[in-house]
Amino acid sequence: MSASGLMSLGMKAMTASQAALATTGHNIANANVAGYSRQQAELATAIGQFSGAGFFGKGVDVTTVTRAHDEFLTREAATAGSLAAQDAARLGLLRQLESVFPTGEQGVGYAAGQFLNAMVDLAARPQDAATRQVVLARAGDAASRFAAASAQLDTLQLAVQEDLKAQVAQVNQLAQTVAGLNQRIAAFMGMGHTPNDLLDQRDQAIAQLSEKLQLSTVKADDGSLTVFVAGGQRLVLGSQVQPLTVQPDPRDATRAALGLSDSGFVRLLQDNELGGGSIAGLLRFQNQDLVDARTQLGQMAAALAGAVNQQQALGLDLRVPPGSGAPIFATGAALALPNANNAIDGAGRFIGQVSLVVTDASQLWASEYELRADPGGTPGVYQLTRLVDGLVRSVASGDAVDGLRIDIGPGLPAATDRFLLQPVSRAAHGMQRVLDDIRGLAAASPLSAAAATGNTGTASVASLRLTSTAADPELTASFDFSSDIGDYSWTLRDRLSNAVVSSGTGTWSAGTPLALNGFELQLNGVPRSGDSFSVGKTPFPASNNGNALAFTALRETALVGRGPLAGGGVGGGQSITDAYASAMARIGVRVQSAGSAAEISAAVAAQAETTRSAKSGVNLDEEAARLIQYQQSYQAAAKILQIAQSVFDTLLDATR
Amino acid sequence: MRITSANTYETSIDNLQRRQQELQLAQDRLTSGKRVARASDDPAAAARIERALAASARADANQRGLDAGRNAMQQTEAALGNATELMQQARELVVAAGNGSYTDAERANLGARIAGLRDQLLAIANRGDGAGGYLFGGQGSAMPPFVDAPGGVLFRGAPGRTEAQAGELVPMTLDGAAAWLQARSGNGVFVTMPGASNGSGAWVDAGNVTDPSALTGADYQVVFAVNAGVTSYSVLMNGAPTAVLNQPYVSGRSIGFDGIALTVQGTPADGDVFDVAPSANQLSVFDTLARLAGDLQLPGRSPAQVAQSVASGLRDIDGLFGNLQQQRSLAGESLNRIDMLEGRLAESKLGAQTERSIAEDLDMVQALSEFQAKQTGYDAALKTYSLVQRMSLFQYLGN
Repeated sequence: MSASGLMSLGMKAMTASQAALATTGHNIANANVAGYSRQQAELATAIGQFSGAGFFGKGVDVTTVTRAHDEFLTREAATAGSLAAQDAARLGLLRQLESVFPTGEQGVGYAAGQFLNAMVDLAARPQDAATRQVVLARAGDAASRFAAASAQLDTLQLAVQEDLKAQVAQVNQLAQTVAGLNQRIAAFMGMGHTPNDLLDQRDQAIAQLSEKLQLSTVKADDGSLTVFVAGGQRLVLGSQVQPLTVQPDPRDATRAALGLSDSGFVRLLQDNELGGGSIAGLLRFQNQDLVDARTQLGQMAAALAGAVNQQQALGLDLRVPPGSGAPIFATGAALALPNANNAIDGAGRFIGQVSLVVTDASQLWASEYELRADPGGTPGVYQLTRLVDGLVRSVASGDAVDGLRIDIGPGLPAATDRFLLQPVSRAAHGMQRVLDDIRGLAAASPLSAAAATGNTGTASVASLRLTSTAADPELTASFDFSSDIGDYSWTLRDRLSNAVVSSGTGTWSAGTPLALNGFELQLNGVPRSGDSFSVGKTPFPASNNGNALAFTALRETALVGRGPLAGGGVGGGQSITDAYASAMARIGVRVQSAGSAAEISAAVAAQAETTRSAKSGVNLDEEAARLIQYQQSYQAAAKILQIAQSVFDTLLDATR
Repeated sequence: MRITSANTYETSIDNLQRRQQELQLAQDRLTSGKRVARASDDPAAAARIERALAASARADANQRGLDAGRNAMQQTEAALGNATELMQQARELVVAAGNGSYTDAERANLGARIAGLRDQLLAIANRGDGAGGYLFGGQGSAMPPFVDAPGGVLFRGAPGRTEAQAGELVPMTLDGAAAWLQARSGNGVFVTMPGASNGSGAWVDAGNVTDPSALTGADYQVVFAVNAGVTSYSVLMNGAPTAVLNQPYVSGRSIGFDGIALTVQGTPADGDVFDVAPSANQLSVFDTLARLAGDLQLPGRSPAQVAQSVASGLRDIDGLFGNLQQQRSLAGESLNRIDMLEGRLAESKLGAQTERSIAEDLDMVQALSEFQAKQTGYDAALKTYSLVQRMSLFQYLGN
């Protein structure tokens, strides 16, 4: 072995040590760079040189620099991060949504309750202008509280849309980055070494993309990565990007939907295929949570307005002459939205037409519906799906369903047409008090009941309730009891001429009202033979408070979400304050479970990231140790050079 | 497993932040004293709070209705108290008018005073409740409810009572007609009255019931005949003769038939008739007093006529008095019921507040100990962080 051999061996050792030191330095320098993978200089023993005395080692070679990387762990961390981002995005929005349903005095339910409570004062002072003013003010409060809540929901909707646009822009940017990196990586891969830092950058871009939208990747032979979203839609292929777009939802143009442009043509992505990511969280919030909140708020608004306006119509106001009460509240209309893809005529108008009429606001569901032609093809039959619980029913035009009449036509929908029915979604939108005249409050009942002065039984008038606006005040009803066990005869007489219009007999039993002429008369106590009760036109409506009392009864009346009972009739439901309490609790439960979901997925993501970084990350203590290790080997290699030099010098000296 | 420096820092910072958040939340709860600030803190409790709040607000409103009812009933009770005092005065005036030594002028003076009392009573009957309504307005009335029309005072209102909502219905008014215009006439069972064309020599008292089981409820007439200076009487029932026929008349002796006893005094003329009719609910305070005042102001009446006016007047005033007392006790009974109702309302409000407090309020002891624990935890986390992060191999490679 020559001295120059020793020299080159020392050189190689020094180069290797330097390379290792440089790599370690690179690691230390990038210790805090997100997505950086620890690198290592790979050293290999140079093949020895054969001589008569066997193989002499020729030192060490630096073969390449590798990165500590585990594809599986990286992918798992990205997926976990994706789910965590989705949950976090939804939770943040849900927390904002929760503030639309505040507890206590700020809530919509409290305002509605206070409005009905003010009716107690109206009943006590039906003619008092100040009391009437207070009732109107409370009505205004309740209406504007509903409208404000609806406006808050609109703001949230807008925020979702803006956020979506911003995030989609980021996704497109990141997709471009991935595409660019794909190109550069493919170029470098041809040279036989892996461009570690570029790969790290691409992995990091993929991880950031995953936070926005869950994705899957396929690696090509040239090292480039194809990125798919929404279960197989191509986002990046090599250096090509198909950008995402934010579109108006064809079902309801106020909502945003996600589309993918594919050579000038936009394909809509289905929400349920999106998987995780903050964009999926935004869309899920928009299409589920916000819709539910809207329908629940709208259901309450429609039910309250319906019940109040109906009661108002049953009463008499303070005008001269007194008239039936005008509506107090106006709510947003029930909408039937044609799908943007529905068939259109030459002028660009939709051919199929659907309209909704609320027939009984107390039976409305907090839901949206989808209406389409009968899949079986039967003409005149349509399929109605209640979206909140998926109940599918067949309806025809003019059918009443859930307190709603659906009128289809005159233009009939095509077989592929779809309609999104929103009976209550916009009810709270712009809800307002439309009654401004304090005299317009219908405190009086057009009918009043009285017991005859000569009655000997214990019965007294408990309540007189009007059930229909058809109750005719020009007819005077009288009930004459002919036995002590409730047998009675009734007559309806014309108020002025006293001519008998109709008559009949019946048997009264405790607790059941005497119903006639659109009213129900409840008695307390027991009537005796010869007792009589009369119900006739209220002679002095100005000082009567019958309808105000009926308003106060609305406080406890189930007027939200009633439904048909199995045994016939309509029942169930909740009072307005109870309905608000449960709507609020429902949102609360949603926030709570979204909170724990976010907590869990954040923990899972953190764990996955820790596992990934355990493989790829930099430990500074380790690098410090490596520094010492390579420093020493560098020093040793330098010593080899020194020895080689001194050997060379010795040789020179010997030949001098 | 390798520990990665950057990741360790991240995780530690996350943990510290979480602990700090928990600490802040605990502090928030401690300072507000509320366990539930948002529905998501405890949805079930939030719903309970909401319902309790609504119940409490409802109780407040019902209390306002109750106060209005009580106010009205107190005023009604006071008005009826005033009315009975005035009726008492009227009664005294009528008794005074029976004094045989009074001149026409003195009686006319008494009559005028009774007319004055009647006007005062009418003002009481039309008393307002201070909120646009009338105490005796029934189920709504004209303004005011009692109108002094030709032929007597009329009630322009709906019979019955207006009620206010106080959880249960409480009365706001009394039935004006029943209070003022519909007292039971006569002695409560029957009415005695002299015939319109009677002479001026005899008068009849209010009569009384001697045998309730013998009452028939028919109309009777006691008809007098004077034959050759002998006065006799016969009793007709619904116009037909009865067993009481041509009985000799003695002034002041009781005349009895079918469970009825009445006394005629003075000297009846031939053909004088005294009618006996069943009582009816038709005695009006105002008409009675007006009639009395008118009678007393008539000059030149015989002592028997005056005695007749006084006797029927006292009978009617007593009947009216009883009716007003009954109405007053009705108002008093309503006040009683209102007081009991107030107790119930207060209980339900207290129940709602207790419910709200249970659902909403923080258990301070528990919260404080939790806060302590969290504080200790945060403190420990900070200490270990500062200790662990100081340890690095580079510390030892200084030279």
